[in-house]
Amino acid sequence: MAGLVLKGIGKSFGPVEVLRGIDLEVANGEFVVFVGPSGCGKSTLLRVIAGLEEVTAGTIRIDDEDVTGQRAAERGLAMVFQSYALYPHMSVYRNIAFALENMRLPPAEIEARVRRAATMLRLTDYLDRKPGALSGGQRQRVAIGRAVVRDPKIFLFDEPLSNLDAELRVATRKELAGLHAEIGGTMIYVTHDQVEAMTLANRIVVLNKGRIEQVGTPLDLYNRPANLFVAGFIGSPRMNFIRGRVGPEGRLVTPDGKVTLPLPPGLAAAGEVTLGIRPEHVAPCSAGEADARIAVELVEQLGSESYLYGTLADGTALTLRSPLEDPARRGEDVPVRFDPARLHLFDAAGLAIRP
Amino acid sequence: MSETGSPPRAILRDSHASRLIQAVAGLLDRPMAWIQRAVGGRGMAYVFLAPNILFFGLFVFLPIGINMAMSLTGGTNLFLSERPFIGGDHYRGLMQCGSYLDPASCREDHFWKGVSNTLKFTLFQMVAMVGTALVTALVLNRKIRGRGFFRAVYFFPVLLSPVVVALIWKWILQRDGLLNGAITLAGGEKILFFVEPGWAMFWAVFVSVWAHMGFYTLILLAGLQAIPADLYEAAEMDGTKPMRVLTRITLPLLWPNLVVVLVLVLIKAVQTFDEVFVLTGGGPGTATLMVVQYIYETAFANQVQNFGLAAAASMLLGSLLFALTMLQLWIARRKAA
Ligand SMILES: Nc1ncnc2c1ncn2[C@@H]1O[C@H](COP(=O)(O)OP(=O)(O)OP(=O)(O)O)[C@@H](O)[C@H]1O
Ligand SMILES: [Mg+2]
Repeated sequence: MAGLVLKGIGKSFGPVEVLRGIDLEVANGEFVVFVGPSGCGKSTLLRVIAGLEEVTAGTIRIDDEDVTGQRAAERGLAMVFQSYALYPHMSVYRNIAFALENMRLPPAEIEARVRRAATMLRLTDYLDRKPGALSGGQRQRVAIGRAVVRDPKIFLFDEPLSNLDAELRVATRKELAGLHAEIGGTMIYVTHDQVEAMTLANRIVVLNKGRIEQVGTPLDLYNRPANLFVAGFIGSPRMNFIRGRVGPEGRLVTPDGKVTLPLPPGLAAAGEVTLGIRPEHVAPCSAGEADARIAVELVEQLGSESYLYGTLADGTALTLRSPLEDPARRGEDVPVRFDPARLHLFDAAGLAIRP
Repeated sequence: MSETGSPPRAILRDSHASRLIQAVAGLLDRPMAWIQRAVGGRGMAYVFLAPNILFFGLFVFLPIGINMAMSLTGGTNLFLSERPFIGGDHYRGLMQCGSYLDPASCREDHFWKGVSNTLKFTLFQMVAMVGTALVTALVLNRKIRGRGFFRAVYFFPVLLSPVVVALIWKWILQRDGLLNGAITLAGGEKILFFVEPGWAMFWAVFVSVWAHMGFYTLILLAGLQAIPADLYEAAEMDGTKPMRVLTRITLPLLWPNLVVVLVLVLIKAVQTFDEVFVLTGGGPGTATLMVVQYIYETAFANQVQNFGLAAAASMLLGSLLFALTMLQLWIARRKAA
């Protein structure tokens, strides 16, 4: 059964159209992540689902019930805010218990639920403190605890980790994954960090300018991006794009004719195209088996790997990842090979060309 | 972080006004440097404090001292050197009562009537003022149409001088005033507002609430706007009913501002004089006579000008105000911590 169904969702703030034609189904128990560049409408979509913003078009169904006109309070969802939005005048205990008190649950039940959530989130020692006396990570966990106790139909997270430092972010990310495995709720999670998206999601929804660009599993998006935007957005460093046209021998020829490159095998393509290849699928090689040569402009040595930033003969920028330490130096001309199985091809409109 | 620091400085550097200020301030550079050489870096602090201390000493501390001396001396002469020392006689006189619950049994019955009126007035006014200011602030804090207009409207009376306020309302409330005109038009009987003690007290409270509510509304509004919007969204997600949002989130978070308002209202109410005096003259009889009016009349308006007695009464009032102010400072400080 679908937990959440969005049909033709549109949202405008006055003349500004922020969301258009969003169709999405989220199954019960699924972990779905919204990613996209800043300002693409991720938070707005989440708030629309929450009921904190009214839609201007479309319908929202939760557990087969139309909730489009319902207020947030009636929808039975829980949200973890980026700012945590903890009640500063209440103790951690009261913060977590507040929603349960609103539901008028019996005090014993409230107490039991709060204790259970606190144990799970390692908050038992802090229940009497006010949020002001907690660290960022602890506040974060209180915010999650406040959502967990309610046993909501859907958990909504708006960039919950963005106020944490890098180390804590990784740790909390793992905890969230563990939490999902443990309580198995439906979770919708907004982030602009694609590592969070890749590691947490069952499915990722890539948003751009208020539209859905692609929905798929993390590996789907990585291996089979539907268009240039998704190809460029998922993966870091981003995919290399080389524009050109399909030449006589079925190879890509750059506009100035200086570079010819292989195309993915078995694709019927013609005219203006863009070839895409990820940095990790380009490798330095001997001069004999080279597909192209790049003039190295910058080398980043990360120890476990190195990145070479350079340009092809026609000036197109190309990044490649080289295993371990690479001896290449700035200004060198390096022969490189493209992994033919990992080539992506996009037509003039930016859509992936598939067999 | 550096971004937040630099633009204001850039603005300061570029605006014409600031260049003018800098040019003028530049003129002071030399004399200031000269003084600093003379008194040293630490001494400079006192140089800057001096004008204010001088002003304060001359117009606050010195008068308090003179007042103190007045209250301990007798006679009708204004000059201290001509006044005989009588110790605490004035204070004892003020305190001389058959029963403290009955002003009429006191030697200075008007003083005690004033105390009891001021207490009544303060109590009613505090409830009415804080109540209306709170409700107004809550309403104005919503996204309603013409919010800016209403804010201005409610604040406007604050800008009027108390005498003007009182005269406006006197004009409305007097025997043949606007309100009685309206009542007669509606077929009712004229009400003599300034003849019936209950009405006079009611209007005294009403007018002072009308005149000052805007100020307290503003303080409360500022407090309301300091409550982060996402708390309300969190409360909404938590399924909180509106009344509970008010009692469990808004009021607790507004509490520090409410306390400040309460204490400020209290301090102002205890000092009430001009508005009520112009409006009712303290009447009918002594029904709206406040302590400050008693002091004023004892010293300046009565046949026999008893400066000493008035000074003693104002010392008593002063110590009460001092205590209240300390209370307010203590609360404000606790809020900051
Ligand atoms: N209340 C509002 N009134 C007008 N425009 C708004 C409002 N809220 C959001 N927008 C606009 O809608 C667009 C999407 O905003 P949204 O907050 O959903 O972006 P986002 O994808 O969450 O971005 P970020 O990653 O920066 O948080 C933005 O262009 C924003 O300016
Ligand atoms: Mg956002």
